[in-house]
Amino acid sequence: MMTASPGSLADRTLRLLRHPVLRRLAQAFFVAFLLMVFAFLLIRLIPGDPAMILLGDEATEEDVIAYRKLLGIDGSIPSQFGRYVSNLARGDFGVSIRSREPVLSIVQKRLPISLWLTVTTIFMTVLLALPLGVAAALYRRTWFGHAFQIGASVLVATPVFFSGLVLILLFAVQINLVPIAGYHAGFPANLYYLWLPALTINFVLVPVLARILQSSIVETSSEEFVEAAIIRGTQGWRFYWRYLLRPSLAPTVAALGYFAATVVSYAVIIEIIFNLPGIGMTLVDAVRNRDYPLVQGIVFLSGLLVVGLTFMADLVNGWLDPRAKIR
Amino acid sequence: MTPGTAAVSPVGRLRQVDLRRRWRQLNAESRWGLVILALILMLSVFVPLLSPNDAYEFVDLPLQPPSAALPFGSDHLGRDLLVRVFAAARLDIALAILGVSVPIVLGTFIGTLAGTTRTPIAETVWDGLVNALTAFPEIILVLGIVAMVGADVRGLLIAIWISRWAQYARIARAKSLALRDAEFVQAAQVLGYSQLHILIRHIMPNVFSEALAYALSDFIFIIVIIGGLSFLGLGVNPPTPEWGAMLAEGRLYLRTEPWLILFPGFFLSLTASGVALLARGLERISKGEDD
Repeated sequence: MMTASPGSLADRTLRLLRHPVLRRLAQAFFVAFLLMVFAFLLIRLIPGDPAMILLGDEATEEDVIAYRKLLGIDGSIPSQFGRYVSNLARGDFGVSIRSREPVLSIVQKRLPISLWLTVTTIFMTVLLALPLGVAAALYRRTWFGHAFQIGASVLVATPVFFSGLVLILLFAVQINLVPIAGYHAGFPANLYYLWLPALTINFVLVPVLARILQSSIVETSSEEFVEAAIIRGTQGWRFYWRYLLRPSLAPTVAALGYFAATVVSYAVIIEIIFNLPGIGMTLVDAVRNRDYPLVQGIVFLSGLLVVGLTFMADLVNGWLDPRAKIR
Repeated sequence: MTPGTAAVSPVGRLRQVDLRRRWRQLNAESRWGLVILALILMLSVFVPLLSPNDAYEFVDLPLQPPSAALPFGSDHLGRDLLVRVFAAARLDIALAILGVSVPIVLGTFIGTLAGTTRTPIAETVWDGLVNALTAFPEIILVLGIVAMVGADVRGLLIAIWISRWAQYARIARAKSLALRDAEFVQAAQVLGYSQLHILIRHIMPNVFSEALAYALSDFIFIIVIIGGLSFLGLGVNPPTPEWGAMLAEGRLYLRTEPWLILFPGFFLSLTASGVALLARGLERISKGEDD
């Protein structure tokens, strides 16, 4: 594209900086910085003195000072923020008040379970939503299309903590297909514990994704290049994949990137219902114990994860749909 | 129709015809949504009102299965589950409306403000701010705020208000960017109205309709998250009747007394589904899609 372009180094650097991928990357870094600011501000929402809340009224002066130091709320606000940033840069996310363990090592210990849950869920989502979305688009004027629309609205609105309990009732209590709760590490044994939680989250995700795919295919099918392909006599798999499905996938992939955030979100409640000791359960415990640094760390890291995933989804998006690259 | 009501007067009749025409313009989805919501609202008003039992009162032995006297059975403390389910409906719907209404006003105002200022640097910062706030996984951000403010109804509402305004602001900004050069805005400027007056009286009303459309789908999320956090024990706490809290209590008896979760869960899902169907139906009408 711009390999043979003349001009000074500065010119070329400038042009490189305008490259969409780099611009997206710069944006992602800016957003990550703001996430940090929000996470820092989060602890300011505590009404009153956090150290006093944690220690109670009979706390000694030394204890309060020590706790303020532990929470990173001693000194002026700008100096607090400076310390927060430099600590994060060194990978220091603070120390859990409850267990005195570094936040990062707690997260590292619990993260694999949540990641496995996320990956299993997304894999299942794609597997279920692709055929459903295509079918809903192709048979959109039949009873199936109408049932799909209504069913999707109902499923999307059903909270996971209810559908999860109903699924446990069906699969674990009535027919003993899954353990009621618990987890055992190691692939593929862990799938035995993960498939039902993943299915529960998919009760919400699959309808949304299938709906996006359906309307995207309907939109694509009215494009001129589809008509041209039909006129040229393109048929079979080549037609369906290249002219109908592939150009329609871009919004679906973009949605998948966004879905990762939703999965991480719902995983919190799902982990409690299915008793999976992942990040979600850690977070809920931390909220119950008023473990402020741990909450702060998990909130920040989850936001960071989502920014990273959205960035990657954007890249895949540009590759899938040439129309997205032009913009 | 009872005689002597509004239907007899010409204006009343006109209104009735108007309503009937509106109804005919709706598609199947939005009609179902309205019927479901009307049903839930009526039940939640009348069941606690007409039932002899109180939502907090022990009326029978604990864990009685559904019967003629107690259609939904009794809960683990022997309270009437029917009354509790619909007392919870009142609370949940009221809380969800309260949860939606603050972000919609706040977000629309901030968004129109951002959409009508014309400095490029503000736009970059703005984009980053909104993107950052919406990057946090929703439930995790709400949990994070609840952890700081306090694990009760007040904390939950504050968390919802802080975390939900950004989407409205995003919608309002996009819409007001298109509106700020509209002729009626220019006319108002020429007439010498202040910037704030133009913002509130001329731009915001036009932005509001789109924000309302989003508010319907946001309502679903908010009613689910109110139930979700109460389910985790971090929102509405027992003995107050609330769907999520009732599910958490009933969960312990899942094996033997499943109706304890089935009734509250069903009505929570039904309420959210009603709103979802209405939202989807209206969306399809506005897009011009047929059934």
